[in-house]
Amino acid sequence: MGPKLSALTGRLDKLYEFDREPVDSGKLQPWTKFAGMFAGEHVAATEFVIGAFFVLHGVTARDLLFGLLFGNLLAVLSWTFICAPIAVRTRLTLYWYVRKVAGPGIMVVYNAANAVLYCILAGAMIAVSATALGLAFGIRSPALSDVLPRSPAWVLLTFVLGALFTLLAILGFAKLSRFAQVASPWIFVIFIAGALAALPKLGVHPDFSNFGEIARTKIWTGLPVAGQEKLGLWHILFFAWFCNLAMHVGLSDMAVFRYAKRWSYGLFSAFGMFPGHMLAWMASGIMVAAVGREMNPGLMAYEAAGLAGVGALLVAGWTTANPTLYRAGLALQTITPNWPRWKTTLAAGTATTVLACFPVVFMKLLDYVALYGLVLMPVGAVVFAEHWVLPRLGIEPFRAEKRGWSVNPAALAVWAGTLAAVFLLPIHLYFKWLPGYVLALAAYAGLSLLDRKPSEKVGP
Amino acid sequence: MMKTASAVLALLSLALCLVFPVGFFLGRIASERFKLGLVFSSASWFIFASLWTAASGRGKKP
Repeated sequence: MGPKLSALTGRLDKLYEFDREPVDSGKLQPWTKFAGMFAGEHVAATEFVIGAFFVLHGVTARDLLFGLLFGNLLAVLSWTFICAPIAVRTRLTLYWYVRKVAGPGIMVVYNAANAVLYCILAGAMIAVSATALGLAFGIRSPALSDVLPRSPAWVLLTFVLGALFTLLAILGFAKLSRFAQVASPWIFVIFIAGALAALPKLGVHPDFSNFGEIARTKIWTGLPVAGQEKLGLWHILFFAWFCNLAMHVGLSDMAVFRYAKRWSYGLFSAFGMFPGHMLAWMASGIMVAAVGREMNPGLMAYEAAGLAGVGALLVAGWTTANPTLYRAGLALQTITPNWPRWKTTLAAGTATTVLACFPVVFMKLLDYVALYGLVLMPVGAVVFAEHWVLPRLGIEPFRAEKRGWSVNPAALAVWAGTLAAVFLLPIHLYFKWLPGYVLALAAYAGLSLLDRKPSEKVGP
Repeated sequence: MMKTASAVLALLSLALCLVFPVGFFLGRIASERFKLGLVFSSASWFIFASLWTAASGRGKKP
């Protein structure tokens, strides 16, 4: 390992030092913690946009219902059968496990990629919240096709909000995390309240007798708005499944499930998926239909729930951008020599704020969510193959750690090769990750077989 | 005692956040009253839920 990489990984290791060891059996958490955590984490500001986009993309009511039902079920099963079992067996975070599997060099690249992806995500959250504030100052929200900011007032607004979020993230991450815990059940209730209050405007009778008809003809009509592609059942199913791809199939939630008593605790992710990624998305769909399918989260929230709605949008953006900025700052700390936490958070916040000015970060949110999972997914496949497949092929596990590699060449080749292959695959962006995952698994197992020492036996 | 009282009041406030939109949907509450009620019940949730969280934290060892 070169001296520069060695210094870099040394700093990285120091940051994660506190969870270097496997979780002690005395620190395992009850199922209620997992149910509560998932319920609180999956109602964010972006939910206001995702559900609304499904309406704009001309999804039908039937496709939405079945797509979300089965897509979220697949997401829950991915946490249960892919992420949780490895976490429970190793009791390690993905950070330390990837280090053993792929080497510290890969971990540096993974962290840097994560930092950039987190900044874009936090930028989208700031932009969504800015639409709420823009309403108060009469600043027009960006149009669906906007890539660049359309007015200096929008730039100023996102800068003010970004600066505020960054300052708060610097001043008190821990306090804000506690505030986020208090806010999350309320945000979910405001989603439901807003949708319920928007129904009379759409003509739904108080006895719900015509809800089905209104849902089909005025909300999820099956007709996309101009310039938006039509999405169907499979798009929705895959979107719901890959929305948290980096967390389940990508294994970053090993950090959470290493505290689980059993792998079956993965099933408690349903407490986040079905309220947050089903009901909240449907609620935001109803709200956007009630404002004439105008993609303006601030207007949607205000028209449906008044000031409480605007407050929910701001709080949702703030509380979800906060940990995202924190994580981005943490990832940046590894490549910034001896910078204190406030400085890295400031750097991440500045980058995020600049990104938030560009409407494309939230107007193309669905595609961004797909890309986010896609970029990190091959690392999950490599770890899965190393954990389950390689021992069955009689290949020595953790060769990177045992042989002192800074980079496991097979892991790097699989990561880069998979991304190149899925880029070339002539299928919709939403469907690319699945063949990519299978390809990454097979390629890593194949390359590891080629690299096997003659003394290593084949077979279990 | 403080913890229980705050918990009950917090949950009542959250329930009120749903009562107002239900009333509006059923046509029993006017739009302005529903939106004002939602603001007050939301504020009430934040106050009592924060007290509830603080009271829960006090009993724990550092």
